[in-house]
Amino acid sequence: MRFLPLASKILHILATIGFLLVSWQIFSILLDTPAFPPPEQAVRSFLKIFRSDLAGHLGVSFYRIMFSLVVATILGVPLGLFLGKSKKADRLSAPFIYLTYPVPKVVFLPIILILLGIGNTSKIVLITLIVFYQILVTTRDAAKNLPKEYILSIRSLRATERELYQHIYFPACLPAILTSLRLGLGTAMAVLFLVETYATREGIGFFIMDSWSSLAYDQMFAGIIAMGLMGFILYLLLDFGEKVLCSWVNP
Amino acid sequence: MDYIYIRSLQVDYLQNNQTIAALENVNLSLPQASTGVIIGPSGCGKSTLLSILANLNPNYEGRVLLNGKTPRESRDTALILQEYGLLPWKTVWDNVKLGLQIRGIPKNKIASRTEDILKKLGLLSLRKRFPTQLSGGQRQRVAIARSLILEPKLLLMDEPFSSLDALTREEMQDLLLELWKETHLTILIITHNIEEAVFLGQKIFIMSACPGTIIQEFENPLAGDHTARGKMEFLEMCSILRSYFRRGEKDALSPACL
Repeated sequence: MRFLPLASKILHILATIGFLLVSWQIFSILLDTPAFPPPEQAVRSFLKIFRSDLAGHLGVSFYRIMFSLVVATILGVPLGLFLGKSKKADRLSAPFIYLTYPVPKVVFLPIILILLGIGNTSKIVLITLIVFYQILVTTRDAAKNLPKEYILSIRSLRATERELYQHIYFPACLPAILTSLRLGLGTAMAVLFLVETYATREGIGFFIMDSWSSLAYDQMFAGIIAMGLMGFILYLLLDFGEKVLCSWVNP
Repeated sequence: MDYIYIRSLQVDYLQNNQTIAALENVNLSLPQASTGVIIGPSGCGKSTLLSILANLNPNYEGRVLLNGKTPRESRDTALILQEYGLLPWKTVWDNVKLGLQIRGIPKNKIASRTEDILKKLGLLSLRKRFPTQLSGGQRQRVAIARSLILEPKLLLMDEPFSSLDALTREEMQDLLLELWKETHLTILIITHNIEEAVFLGQKIFIMSACPGTIIQEFENPLAGDHTARGKMEFLEMCSILRSYFRRGEKDALSPACL
């Protein structure tokens, strides 16, 4: 029984990849420019340089993304839960969040580079900052809108504050937290590309821009494939996490 | 001896800078190991009354004693809410054992007591399910199991069966009576349903709204009798209650209330 849905899922993914490759092929024929090579060339280049060159860049990028996501989660989730639970803290912090949340954090790239240097730290800090806000706001709102009965029913058991977080706030908000992580991942990938095009010689963003400036378009697309794959695998991981941790949502 | 003893209970809350009385001069006594039912119109403060007994609302004036202790001191009260208050992210098993977990009972004892109570309520085969995978009646059973596992002396129920269909409702009423006879709990139930009140309440309290207070109190010898449902006296009792209930409802529409 379990085999069938899995097989159909894999088939679905393969069909989608096929569709994307065909579209790519059509575009490259229509555009007819060396800047848009057909998929076959890009894939061949990907396979050729993966071990020698791409894997290293991919590893650096993966490290930056994962580190940022983990730090943003560790900071954003507890703070979001706390603000959602405590009306007073929420009231005090709301103006600050509303004023700073809409400011696109990428504008701080120059200042972060000046303050933290051009190494990994500045890149990780910027990605973390952006994802942190998304997680914070989503988690806070989820905690704030929690039905009162859940809290009453466990408070009537004389639960401590810690137990309220443990049994109510955290598990109840987990689906929202994972959704915000998924959204955050998309943003993080975009920001990653941006920060890797500045002042670095490592990372998939650098690799793409470097290939571009040396007119190695097949390599550039190999980099794009690598970045896409990385995103896809991270999404799968989050999906898997959701299935395991939030099995109650769609039992 | 009275398990619940309430004298001159007054609860005020602020709305638009005006003090409004949610409960005014409420007096209520319920003997140990008996059942009481409160009926009254919406907004008459029934749930406020329960929240005080369950120690969820410390802001009141007057005297409230549970077996001689204040709600704050008393540790023997269990509360079942309208929508059962089951946690959707926990399985039946985890929901039921939660109270023991919070009380810090050793793990092996938790497991055996959880198993016992689930067996007793016919829920053992459903232990791995989540609340959304249960019917309304099953969910209510889980809520009862979760309360009884703590071996409370007082069980408070806020419209526990209101969302069940008629047959399941009667089934749950029977189950509750059975459990009551077995455990000698003191039970206080809030309901909108007059038949339910007559079937379950040895004492029936009728509340009016604005201010929320008890306007009438009945001793009900028919409570707990499985054969009573169709009897003449049962229907008469219902009709008497209905007339008082209407009076309470009229109060809810009085100008002072709006």
